[in-house]
Amino acid sequence: MSTQDVAVLGTYQSDFRTHDMSQTYVEQVQKAAIGAHRDAGMCVDDVDAAVISLAPTFFLGVADADRWAIDNIVCAGKPVLRVHTGGATGGSAVHIAYSLIQSRMARSVLIVGAERIAETPDAQKVLNLIFDAFYERDMPLSTNTLVALRACAYLHRHGFTQEDLARVVVRARRNAMKNPHAHLKGDITVDDVMASKMIAYPLKLFDICPRSSGCAAMILGNMDMAKRYRTNPAFVNGIGSLSDTYWMGDRTGPTADTDLVEYDLIRMAATTAYRRAGVTDPLKQIQVAEFYDPYSVNTPISLEQAGFCSRGTALRLEKDGYWDRDTGAVAVNPSGGTLCTNPIAITGLVRCIDAATQVMGTAGDMQVRNVRRALATASGGTAQFYNCTVFGAEPTHG
Amino acid sequence: MDNGLAEAGHDVMSDEITLRYDYALGKVAGRFMRGLKEGKILATRCSKSGLTYLPPRAYCERSFEPCDEWVEAGSQGVVEASTIVVRGYEGKRKAPVAIALVRLDGVDSAIANYVDGLDLSDPASAMTRIAPGTRLRVTFAAEREGRITDFSFLPL
Amino acid sequence: MFPNIASEKIYVIGLAMHAAVHAERGLRLEEMVFEVSHRALRNAGISRKQLDNVVIAACDELDGRPISSMLMAAPAGGYLVDEIKVTESGLNGLAASVARLRSGEFQAGLVVSWCKSSKTDISAVMRLRNDPFYYRSLNIGGLVSDGMLAQAVASEFAVTRDEIAHRVRAAYARGASNPRGLGSPVPTVDVVENGAFTALPMRETDLAPLSDGAVTLVLCTERFLADNRQCVPLATLSGIGWASDSYLLGMHRLRSFTAARNAWEMALAQSGLSADELDFAELDTPSAWHEAALARIFGLIDAQISPSGSNFSQNPFFCMGLINAAEAVLKLSGAGGEPANARPRRAAAHGCHGFAQQGHVVAIFEAIGGQVN
Repeated sequence: MSTQDVAVLGTYQSDFRTHDMSQTYVEQVQKAAIGAHRDAGMCVDDVDAAVISLAPTFFLGVADADRWAIDNIVCAGKPVLRVHTGGATGGSAVHIAYSLIQSRMARSVLIVGAERIAETPDAQKVLNLIFDAFYERDMPLSTNTLVALRACAYLHRHGFTQEDLARVVVRARRNAMKNPHAHLKGDITVDDVMASKMIAYPLKLFDICPRSSGCAAMILGNMDMAKRYRTNPAFVNGIGSLSDTYWMGDRTGPTADTDLVEYDLIRMAATTAYRRAGVTDPLKQIQVAEFYDPYSVNTPISLEQAGFCSRGTALRLEKDGYWDRDTGAVAVNPSGGTLCTNPIAITGLVRCIDAATQVMGTAGDMQVRNVRRALATASGGTAQFYNCTVFGAEPTHG
Repeated sequence: MDNGLAEAGHDVMSDEITLRYDYALGKVAGRFMRGLKEGKILATRCSKSGLTYLPPRAYCERSFEPCDEWVEAGSQGVVEASTIVVRGYEGKRKAPVAIALVRLDGVDSAIANYVDGLDLSDPASAMTRIAPGTRLRVTFAAEREGRITDFSFLPL
Repeated sequence: MFPNIASEKIYVIGLAMHAAVHAERGLRLEEMVFEVSHRALRNAGISRKQLDNVVIAACDELDGRPISSMLMAAPAGGYLVDEIKVTESGLNGLAASVARLRSGEFQAGLVVSWCKSSKTDISAVMRLRNDPFYYRSLNIGGLVSDGMLAQAVASEFAVTRDEIAHRVRAAYARGASNPRGLGSPVPTVDVVENGAFTALPMRETDLAPLSDGAVTLVLCTERFLADNRQCVPLATLSGIGWASDSYLLGMHRLRSFTAARNAWEMALAQSGLSADELDFAELDTPSAWHEAALARIFGLIDAQISPSGSNFSQNPFFCMGLINAAEAVLKLSGAGGEPANARPRRAAAHGCHGFAQQGHVVAIFEAIGGQVN
């Protein structure tokens, strides 16, 4: 069986903000679907199937809201799947769409979703409910607490400071100034980050992503579709995805398979994606990385585990400008990344769009020069789901 | 999609949804919670992988075989990770609170709980007392109700 | 309408079902799911480490957890492996799993689904599935849409009350002879004819009672099978199709069964079979009205319909379609003890989901071993 190449035919993302009171969930999803069709120059009959990227529905208060959206994306009668892997959802949705085309079960697939987390004032309660009912909800553990545990240990282990983390935020917000869709952006300083209020030691408000609302879509297609609809497509060169144990405590101690602090699940997922994509030296072969970094500490860890530098060095290299947009060794989150915009249900999809458009040369003001390959990642659960997608200017199999 | 229909569009329709659940504790968590009432922290062990788990598991994720033995965890352990939560916290206790993942003696994995006995008015200094690698001990509440918060950690 | 260029056969090499039970109170969900996945891998004769992908089909709202796969992935078998969750129904999970195996990048997969109906306030979840503006205040979802579906079926296909009563009793009777079912007694004609209405014309007795369950299938490609001679395939999967229909209920939507027809055609086209070549079809029929409609839409005679009893044998709501797949595979593989020459050779398994069956999935399975008839 020959493996099919898969191309990105069109993308769309809305501007992101705290809440979007001007439209409903299904209208948002429709807006994104229309946007991606327009970008690809396709009409609805040109799309065989859809994958809906939708994370916990407790945020928007409509269970299985994907079904509510079927008419709005003109998919009644078509094969539709909804994918949900928490924060990793958007990346998983791209992976399933990719498999649908590779398997020849579809020639083209729409991936679409929207987030409206501000529909409920109880979003934090929902986030607390993701934890185990017996062992953890009574405290409760929260996502902030979980990452704070990791961040403390990471800084302690490698001898870095809160100021070192602050530089990541400064670069992200600066990059986001060129991203018309970004939620948070601006010229801030290390002092500004340090002065923001402490949430869970060592994380301060600016070390943590906002909760964003908005919508996004991408259309993938086989080579025939690519020839018909796109002169400069990006190709999905390789995917890698892994799930770890839920239990953070199982990722500690000498007998553990993975390391809670270093998040080496990223390395395992990236290694698989690189193998499939033919990437042997990420620093040379990848020009843009769009990491899923909802917390400042995720960026250095991602760089180290995805093979762009060795363990415990990313924050030192950050200081030396290695990750800067135009002058660095690799442009890290030229969009501003998840630290600036986090619409949970579609964050992974937005990472993929921001990576693919860099390859297609359609990233607008965010465009980095001479991008041949870009990496997008997504992370979900208690940092237990991780997926990587490598986009390239050339098809993998030719 | 500004099609001329849109006006301000900021109306809302409010709803409140309550879902009720009775979480079955199952054979393992139930035993663990009863153990807490007796002042014991009970871990499960898989003879195939040789690994001992807290929180206890019915099965071993590594060997994918059932855990087949109960083991009482040590009363001390080592901090694997820790933090002090200062804001935005809706826990059983009010912030600030110290939380640590502690790997108890004789157990392969770490379990999370509050750390007591710290002066949290200066978080930076309190953090040094619960830094990774520090040893802590278990203390039980006088009144126990069979919940995870029946115990907490204390500096030695 | 759909390009059926996918034709690679996928093999079912192992399966397990949780013993049918009205309410599983002794085990927490993780324990139930570990038990079926563990047993299915044993049945397949492979270790979990040989899996390169896992698909979980689960519904957060029914499980009472915002991201239910967090705690469920590892017990399901998804530890340090590519694991993805889909949320419509158990059989949608099979569709995703087949896509992965046919992609050429994966060789051995596990698909698992579960439902603890007894633990969940299903009517509250159904209410939450209503859009907040037009349906929710009227609570159109669930009972109301089932009533409307029954009305549409009655009128579109001239289904009589007698037919429904007959179908209910026949389904219970088939279920009673299924050793893996709940063994519910067959209700008398009097009971079925006089059941209280839930939403006219649907009667309480037309609906299959819910139960708890879990099911795991282990699947692989031809290449994996060639490399792992110890695996004995139970059946091949030669086609799978699925489709979702409009959310907005109307006469056309309720009567046309467009999604069911599209799913059926997509699956049959991949396998190159027609309905009359199927020995039987296990149909996800929450009520006898559904069975009456699907029999006609799929062109099935009574002797082909749900020998297991389907929902009237056990009915773990969300994973019913995947239970049907397991029942079909068991029959094709001779687990019932029939001599090889008397065994059925081709079967369909069907699952549905959503208000008034908004979504449908159909999988086609074939027995192993030549084309003997």
